[in-house]
Amino acid sequence: MANNNTVLIKIKRQNGPDSKSYWEEFEIPYRPGMNVISALMDIALNPTTRQGKATTPITYESNCLEEVCGSCAMRINGRVRMACSALIDNLEKPVRLEPLSKFPVVRDLTVDRSVLFENLKRVKAWVPIDGSYDLGSGPRLLPEDQEAAYPLSRCISCCCCMEACPQFNESTGFVGAATISQVRLFNTHPTGKALKRERLSALMGDGGIHECGYAQNCVEVCPKDIPLTRSISEVGREVMKQAIGDLFRK
Amino acid sequence: MASVSSTAPVAGSKASARAHSGVAPLRAGQGHSFFWRRLHSLSGIFPIGAFLVEHFFSNAFATNGAAAYNENVRFLTGLPFVFFLELFFIWIPIAYHAGYGFYIWYRGETNVGDYPWTGNWLYTTQRWTGAIAFFYMGWHVWSMRFNGVHLLTNSAAAFWKVQNEFHHPWAVAFYFVGIIAASWHFGYGLWLFAAKWGFFTGESARRKFGVVCLLVAVVFITVGTATMVAFLTSPQVAPPAEISTGAQIP
Repeated sequence: MANNNTVLIKIKRQNGPDSKSYWEEFEIPYRPGMNVISALMDIALNPTTRQGKATTPITYESNCLEEVCGSCAMRINGRVRMACSALIDNLEKPVRLEPLSKFPVVRDLTVDRSVLFENLKRVKAWVPIDGSYDLGSGPRLLPEDQEAAYPLSRCISCCCCMEACPQFNESTGFVGAATISQVRLFNTHPTGKALKRERLSALMGDGGIHECGYAQNCVEVCPKDIPLTRSISEVGREVMKQAIGDLFRK
Repeated sequence: MASVSSTAPVAGSKASARAHSGVAPLRAGQGHSFFWRRLHSLSGIFPIGAFLVEHFFSNAFATNGAAAYNENVRFLTGLPFVFFLELFFIWIPIAYHAGYGFYIWYRGETNVGDYPWTGNWLYTTQRWTGAIAFFYMGWHVWSMRFNGVHLLTNSAAAFWKVQNEFHHPWAVAFYFVGIIAASWHFGYGLWLFAAKWGFFTGESARRKFGVVCLLVAVVFITVGTATMVAFLTSPQVAPPAEISTGAQIP
């Protein structure tokens, strides 16, 4: 075991998308206040395994280091979370680092999360303001609506909610909580709601909102404390209203 | 521990190979899974939940004695169109709910090991209680409906038949487990229905309705247990004359 002045880290590595994964152990000097990203930086300074074998630095994504960019999501001791806010002091040792399990691995801890971008496009998660002339200022938002919308707008596309979801997998092709919550955000926007019907219809397609099993892991792991289960219920209500209404109207 | 070379086979490589292709994006506008999944949800409330209420209530006539119980069975078996009532309100809905339920379970990836939270445990419990209730019902229907004295034509033998079955301690235990499983599955299913269809959307509203659903499950378990106690403590009823002369009763 590592002594008090060092930290033992086990990392699940993979050289490329088609390679097999393997584990490597690193023992790095302990520094007060260090987090998982700073530990990965320390390994990059001296990429040598605990057994003294020279190796390559760990590939991972990170940017802001303050839990707002969403890039450094990974499984730390089996549970998905942002690496930058994972303080080594608070983690069980040895620290186990693994890439997200439900996204294609690019290399080491870097995964391809483009499915979220695709999903956001398919529900038209934007405010339609394209035009060839000045549209003027938009409608005013009531403070009450702003307060409901702001938490939803904090989504950082980290995909933690999808990784932790038992229903998000290749069998269901479930869209995941983040996209459903963005539908709620843009459907409550006074200009964005122009596309409300299309967004709700999209969520009725295969892999849509109905695949949710309400395990509620999403809301537990969300680093931005977004009320994801509430969004699923609110959007679930709108989807049902539209589906049942269409039985009579269409 | 020796470091593992990059070419060595690694346990769990199946998982990484599976993750390689990744989860498919939302299939907006495609498929009919929305209808079938929502029908599964609805069928659990009506008609299956409604039948469960009727079934527990009708059987509770046992607490009023053998005569009251047999009279109730005579009433139910004498309902007009009883064949179609059973077919469309019991057999087909339960067969569909169970079949699609196992399909849902098969496609989900339970992960309470890594995410041991209440909602996630309830997600897993809903699958297990559903399966237990299903296999219990399979045995229950076989032993009460298709084996031994035929109650549709011999309603006067109903109380005696249950009492006779309760001579086996394992049957009593299986009844008790079946009652708990069905009650819990219905109580939490009611909550899931309300959360997914958007009847209760806010955190506080959902939590309060959760208490209501817990009470529903407790009431079902209590009524079911009281009914069992009535069968177990009532004086032994003699089999009706036409049965006792007829041979082979298990």
